[in-house]
Amino acid sequence: MKIIHLIALLVVAGGWNLRAQTNPTAAPAHAPTRIDSDRVDFDLNTHQAVYQGNVRVDDPQMKLTCTHLVVYLPESGGRPNRIVAETNVVIDFADEKSQKMHATSDKSVYVYAIQNGATNETVTLTGNAKVENAQGWLTGEPIVWDRASNHLTATNQKMIFRQNLDGAKTGTNLPPGTIQNIDRLTLPPSQP
Amino acid sequence: MKTRLNSAVLVLSVILASGFFAGVIHAQQNGAGHASDFASVEYFGAPHQQQMKSRLSGAEAQPLAGGLLVIKQLKLETFNTNGSPATVVEAPECVYDTLKGEASSPGHLQLRTFDGIFRVEGDGFLWRQGDHLLTISNQVRTVIENTAEKKTVL
Repeated sequence: MKIIHLIALLVVAGGWNLRAQTNPTAAPAHAPTRIDSDRVDFDLNTHQAVYQGNVRVDDPQMKLTCTHLVVYLPESGGRPNRIVAETNVVIDFADEKSQKMHATSDKSVYVYAIQNGATNETVTLTGNAKVENAQGWLTGEPIVWDRASNHLTATNQKMIFRQNLDGAKTGTNLPPGTIQNIDRLTLPPSQP
Repeated sequence: MKTRLNSAVLVLSVILASGFFAGVIHAQQNGAGHASDFASVEYFGAPHQQQMKSRLSGAEAQPLAGGLLVIKQLKLETFNTNGSPATVVEAPECVYDTLKGEASSPGHLQLRTFDGIFRVEGDGFLWRQGDHLLTISNQVRTVIENTAEKKTVL
């Protein structure tokens, strides 16, 4: 069992890079974020915009779809400091190797804040949270993507891999490896 | 002859506009004439009662029966309690119900925060002045500018 763990961790460290960066083929990072939907209710008292129906977010670093999205704007102006997506949340993005990543959850909460000069920016996936790529998938409750440091942290996670050591597809020589019952695992960004 | 007719229409319009501008509430009630530079201002409650909460204005207002106004070039501005501007909403035309405090239109509308970072546009809207709720009901498109110090919103 320990060997399976070691193999799986090696695959994680070397083969499944969860560090998300700008896809070089995508729009430049300073491009605007766009939100399309069927309807929006904008509460000008509380500075909240509630989007409903076919909500699609097109960001330079990711694409998100959901049924219900709330954008919270600070009273003093500036960018949104909190965005909550709910129901059938799907997020697609690419890592630094342009490898496609696919995340799903019931709820996603984006938080942006600057405290003591440091930028805190996280995306927290809860409710059947899952991040998937070509090598396998990761589930957890929650899965937190720290966008400022590009760390992905999963609590109570389960990881399933499609690849064996030779890089062959699942169903060839070896069954996929599985890691279960790890309380918390932080995957640091890979070295360039 | 055509020139004379145009001049007469112009004079009549100015007279009507001047009369309406002098008393917006009266014109709304009797349903006669039209106004230029129409404006309706709402203030915060105590303790910020001196601060403007919203200002609804239009380049032209045409009264209809039932307390309705057809407003051309609608501009709705909202403010924070410290007096700083918050959002600006603009639409080519809408119908403003003076009794309900609601403005609506099947047409286009644009909203932006005062710094221009957050912009929304769409077709078909309802503005409820009482609860400061703006609903855009079709083809909603939002643009959030990503400023230099921060790469993206999401």
